Amino acid sequence: MAIDLRETFLEAEEFKKLGNDFYKEKKYEDAIDCYTKAIELDSNNAIYLANRAMAYLKTEAYGYALADSSKAIELDPHYLKGYYRRASANLALNKYKESLKDFQTITKLAPKNKVAKEKSKECEKIIRQILFVEAISFDDCKKSVVDDIHLDSIKVEDSYLGPSLPSDGKVTEDFLKSLISWFKDQKPLHKKFAFQIIIEARKLFAGYESLVYVDIPENAVFNICGDTHGQFYDLLHIFEINGYPGPNNLYLFNGDFVDRGSFSYEVIFVLFSLKLLHPEYFFLSRGNHETVSMNRMYGFAGEVKAKGTELMLKLFHETFCCLPLAYVVEKKIFCVHGGLFSEDGVTLDDIRKINRFQEPPESGLMCDLLWSDPMPQNGRSPSKRGVGLHFGPDVTQQFLAHNQLEYIVRSHEVKDNGYEIAHDGKCITVFSAPNYCDQMGNKGAILTVTKNDLSPQFKTFTHVPHPDVKPMAYMNMGTMFEL
Amino acid sequence: MSDEPVMATNDDASECKRGAVQLGYWQDNYIPYFVRQIEKRAPEINRGYYARVKGVERFIKTFLKKAGSSSQIVNLGAGFDTLYWRLKDQGVYMSNYVEIDFPTVTARKCYAIKRNKQLLERIHEQDGEVKLSATDLHAGNYHCIGADLRNISQLEMKLQQAEVSFANPTLFIAECVLVYIENDCVNRLLGWIASKFKSALFVNYEMCNMNDTFGDVMLGNLRARGCTLAGISFCKNLETQKSRFISNNWQGAKAWDMVQIYYDLPAAERQRIEKIEFLDEQELLIQLFQHYCICVGWLGTEFADISCNGGD
Repeated sequence: MAIDLRETFLEAEEFKKLGNDFYKEKKYEDAIDCYTKAIELDSNNAIYLANRAMAYLKTEAYGYALADSSKAIELDPHYLKGYYRRASANLALNKYKESLKDFQTITKLAPKNKVAKEKSKECEKIIRQILFVEAISFDDCKKSVVDDIHLDSIKVEDSYLGPSLPSDGKVTEDFLKSLISWFKDQKPLHKKFAFQIIIEARKLFAGYESLVYVDIPENAVFNICGDTHGQFYDLLHIFEINGYPGPNNLYLFNGDFVDRGSFSYEVIFVLFSLKLLHPEYFFLSRGNHETVSMNRMYGFAGEVKAKGTELMLKLFHETFCCLPLAYVVEKKIFCVHGGLFSEDGVTLDDIRKINRFQEPPESGLMCDLLWSDPMPQNGRSPSKRGVGLHFGPDVTQQFLAHNQLEYIVRSHEVKDNGYEIAHDGKCITVFSAPNYCDQMGNKGAILTVTKNDLSPQFKTFTHVPHPDVKPMAYMNMGTMFEL
Repeated sequence: MSDEPVMATNDDASECKRGAVQLGYWQDNYIPYFVRQIEKRAPEINRGYYARVKGVERFIKTFLKKAGSSSQIVNLGAGFDTLYWRLKDQGVYMSNYVEIDFPTVTARKCYAIKRNKQLLERIHEQDGEVKLSATDLHAGNYHCIGADLRNISQLEMKLQQAEVSFANPTLFIAECVLVYIENDCVNRLLGWIASKFKSALFVNYEMCNMNDTFGDVMLGNLRARGCTLAGISFCKNLETQKSRFISNNWQGAKAWDMVQIYYDLPAAERQRIEKIEFLDEQELLIQLFQHYCICVGWLGTEFADISCNGGD
């Protein structure tokens, strides 16, 4: 009897050794076979099970690894390797909390084992990182910054003489007039009303689809403006020469309202207020600068932190995510900030269905919409910007034909004369920030159409003076002094 | 017409350089001693300064390679440039290094050097003297002198105090300096250098191609800051830049706009810095590059074969 047992034991050990050899040679399937044979001879050996678990991990059979390591622990609750194997299996299965439990056990069982301690600590650190990231991203999806803003508790001091909104946040002509004149004098809008405007605008935009159809009323004109980039005084000039928005004078501003210019704050509040005042006659589409990463680098974030608050910036970013991505005017003119797509066959419905409530991904329809540029040659080509693409006249033609449209209007690129007609009249760029960055000396332009005549008419304009704003926390563009 | 706005260009340039260094565009351990905390600049500015600094550096390297240990560097309108300390760190040996700027500027530079051991110990030779006045500093082969480049006799005297040798191969550096000086003063300066120095290379970084809308806007912006660009006529294009040397008895001149200079820098380096700040669009940067240039002029024959991709 004893001899049998001993022989069995020796045989099992042989298989284990063989298995270990195979393991070292990276022949994991063979190793598994050997360990299995060892286990068949002695099923109560934690070591064999832990070893097989290790080999299973290598062949990505995580379920089997989990089973084996659990059995090993069951058989020998003091065998550290068992816990290591199970922790690894759980990690591979993304069961971080379970994994963490085993590491904690290891440190408890071997408090003096330095290597064990370090290893566990290392793994624990990684796991906690992962759990933390998961936790906060989970929160982001569910919570809106609006929940953190308690408008009723924000007091307006008696000393505040600026424009104010009623408690229902309804924007009136009077409010808009006083807002514009207040801003012209570089005075601050009270935070309470600032928050109110953004909150109401956000609600309004969120109710739209990602692609919006607009019809032009009879006897009205429809104006499309391009990038304005924080050039508040030039924005006012647009309204002075072309009329303020109203039932007969509709406007679409095609993205990039903020960044670069030093008055992005004023621009965005006036545009949002106009939207709230004339929701049927005033439209805003999202540009690539209505995003977190651009605002961080090109001034808006700094400006909001200086003139408003950090919370307000978060609210802006949420609101930007609600801006529609594209408009179709009279079912014939497709308006978008950047341009067309890396694939053929995109329909208006595809665009309408985009989930725009996010920062633009690094590729795909939403990214292309915000970032692409036309090029003169046919076909497609990687973008000079490193994001999006260049698309040729054939791409434009195909898209228009496929969707029964006449031409596209986009912005995104500075043009000497404020606008440029490309692709045989089918792709028009309109840009409305004159003397861009106080440097380029370009004109701005406004594109106008009517219901009965959809052919584009252009009005160009030069820049107007603006206050010499001393560089503060935000971008110093005004003094491109000397390179 | 005061010189103060021109002196202020040093502050702006130094701040821009410091900002770029802080973001990792290039290394300069000494600039923080001269420049306090700065505001963030647009990515175009940082890339522009990178191109400027690296572009000029290439010519400096070429010069040092050719001229060897007898080389002499005269940095005109040097402002808070840290070139001396950086070269010292690299173990470059020169016979003489002279920085010149308005006395108001050199006074501030000397003050900063006096106050900061890290700057002082680099220039202070073991057994050498440090001669200090309010506006001048002489220590070993380093000389910081306050002078007006429009006053040649004063300049000549000060250069003699700095132990400048007319026989040694000399590198003159000027970054946006000559453009602020009246034409006849510039002509006199360049003519005087040509008459005195046997072998020299002048590296001039400056505006160019100014006869367009962008140029007009730039001039307008600078004028609004009180900077009348007295020497702007030489910045019309690369030809006029070169002619400034040729017409003042220099042997030859070459010029490249910053598009050429930038794209001639090593690709790996350009890729590295382009990742530091994402540029949303290229237009502004290209315009800036097209409106600045590096123009070199030479005396003697040693530097006649200079090209913009040398020195590595």
